[in-house]
Amino acid sequence: MTVLSATSRAVESFAAPDPFMVRIRDLIYQVAGIFHADNKLRALEERCMRRMQVLAIKTYRDYYDCLTVKSIRQAELVALLNEITIGETCFFRNQPQIDGIRNIVLPKILEQRAKLSLRHLRIWSAGCSTGEEPYTLCMIMLEETATRLKGWTFEILATDLNERSLNHAKNGVYNAYSTRNLPALFREKYFAANGNDLQIDRNVKNYVNFSRLNLTDETKMLFMKGLDMILCCNVLIYFDGASKKRVIQHFYNGLLPHGYLFLGHSESLYGVSEDFRLVHMPSSTAYVKGKRNV
Amino acid sequence: MSQQVRDTILRKLDTFQEMPTLPVSLVPLLRYMEKPMEQMELQQIVDLVSKDKALAAQCLHMANSPLFGRRQAAQTIRDAVVALGFQRMRDVVVSCSVLSLSPSDNHGVDPTVFWEHSLGCALVCRQFASGIGFEDPGKAYLCGLLHDIGIIAHLWIAPREFCSAVEHARKDGSPLHEMELNSMGIHHAETGKLVSARWKFSDDVIEVAACHHDPSSASAHRSLVALVSLSDMLCRMSGLGHGITESRQIDLLEEPGFALLSQECPNLKNFDWAKFTFQLEGYMEEVHRLVSLLYRPQ
Ligand SMILES: C[S@@+](CC[C@H](N)C(=O)[O-])C[C@H]1O[C@@H](n2cnc3c(N)ncnc32)[C@H](O)[C@@H]1O
Ligand SMILES: [Fe+2]
Ligand SMILES: [Fe+2]
Repeated sequence: MTVLSATSRAVESFAAPDPFMVRIRDLIYQVAGIFHADNKLRALEERCMRRMQVLAIKTYRDYYDCLTVKSIRQAELVALLNEITIGETCFFRNQPQIDGIRNIVLPKILEQRAKLSLRHLRIWSAGCSTGEEPYTLCMIMLEETATRLKGWTFEILATDLNERSLNHAKNGVYNAYSTRNLPALFREKYFAANGNDLQIDRNVKNYVNFSRLNLTDETKMLFMKGLDMILCCNVLIYFDGASKKRVIQHFYNGLLPHGYLFLGHSESLYGVSEDFRLVHMPSSTAYVKGKRNV
Repeated sequence: MSQQVRDTILRKLDTFQEMPTLPVSLVPLLRYMEKPMEQMELQQIVDLVSKDKALAAQCLHMANSPLFGRRQAAQTIRDAVVALGFQRMRDVVVSCSVLSLSPSDNHGVDPTVFWEHSLGCALVCRQFASGIGFEDPGKAYLCGLLHDIGIIAHLWIAPREFCSAVEHARKDGSPLHEMELNSMGIHHAETGKLVSARWKFSDDVIEVAACHHDPSSASAHRSLVALVSLSDMLCRMSGLGHGITESRQIDLLEEPGFALLSQECPNLKNFDWAKFTFQLEGYMEEVHRLVSLLYRPQ
């Protein structure tokens, strides 16, 4: 039975996940709102491994105990979340999301905005880190200036808690790693070489307004108003349930009635807010403010 | 022009010209598998599947995929039946048998994308059904698997016209059934209804094939049709849509299928769609791998 032995070899690398790993995955989703699908479980395993090494723990089962019943559970959860969220970012981090914004969301927003007869868009990148996300958005918008955005103006607000990241962003020099997803077209059009790095174009910079903002700062949050889109990607994982709810409430109030909220890939508002409607676009999801028709 | 294509398709369906007969292994299997679970005997399934060596090997591939919940590789069909249980094994066997219904001449459109969609949709249907406490997840699986059977019929009897509809849908980013209707005067749901009746599939499968793009037209199996319709939409929005990227935004809670299904499944209100979507994205890679491994044109 040669066919059959070939079969068993082929499956070895594709074993179903360890049940305790699945529980850890569910726990992370519950506390941080980020879901590691089966094909991302390896990454989560590696992160757990790192912590398990530190703690000299051998099995996922024991590690699950550390995260749930042992007295260190709170601290350990934070430590694991830090492993999961290592402040990474890059240009064009989530291509389906960018396509959705450009081809589906933008036309919808323009239609609504036009009714308000002010041909200006306000976009906010909340938790922008070193600037790759707002600059990506800006380039997308610039690509549309001759077509969809003809006769329109726009501004991009970009905020973060971390001063050093903001300085990096304002400086606008990026290494090969953070530009690894940057399409050649954009590289040529919007960047200049700077040694081994790439310097973002002054024109792109001029559209993006960087400032320091703690998303838990209730007073300052009240000033973030009149927005068409908010991107808050891979940021809310750091927040506990109550502060997450407050931040989302501020986002809701800050958006115009037709506004959109975008989260990071695999992040969800389930159990956090019922004000937003979840919508599906090709290989990405978003939250919209408007009421349902039903 | 499209009227002509429509007439030709209807005529071919009427005489069943150019259509494949169901694989010999599938006929008794479908029938046998329809019976209530108690009557199933381990040995009978093993015998039935083992008679067809190629089918047996395929079933093992599928049974050993994490999509079917296995952690250790089964070496024989008997192991697989013991490990997965009857219902999952039925899913496996029927999926593999149905796979052989594709024509080999593909007119430039890769038929594996249709099987990826069907298998993906079947899995999503089953998971969705379990998630909302729908009565029969096994039935949901089967209906998901066969809902687009009309597409397979189009591949047989109007391949050129159908493939050009697919190309259009890809270019336009619009739903396939709309493109079919435009250019062929008929879409795969109408065709699906006719073929599945012709092949004597059960009533629920026929209605799903006929109504999954217009769930409000369903009568006897409304919630099943609604469930498949929503799952189908999720697959299409998650990269399992016949290689077509539909350029639009969908609010599942505003879809007619949602209202229909909520009547039967009150749990649907609290369903975590986001998590479900991420889960489904997670097994897409494995669906691709599995289908390319299993695919064997006739
Ligand atoms: C992983 S980065 C996300 C960067 C970018 N949004 C992306 O998705 O690629 C997370 C960022 O959130 C910022 N952050 C964390 N807590 C914050 C808070 N309370 N207020 C504002 N920013 C915060 C961090 O400084 C960090 O730059
Ligand atoms: Fe369909
Ligand atoms: Fe479908």
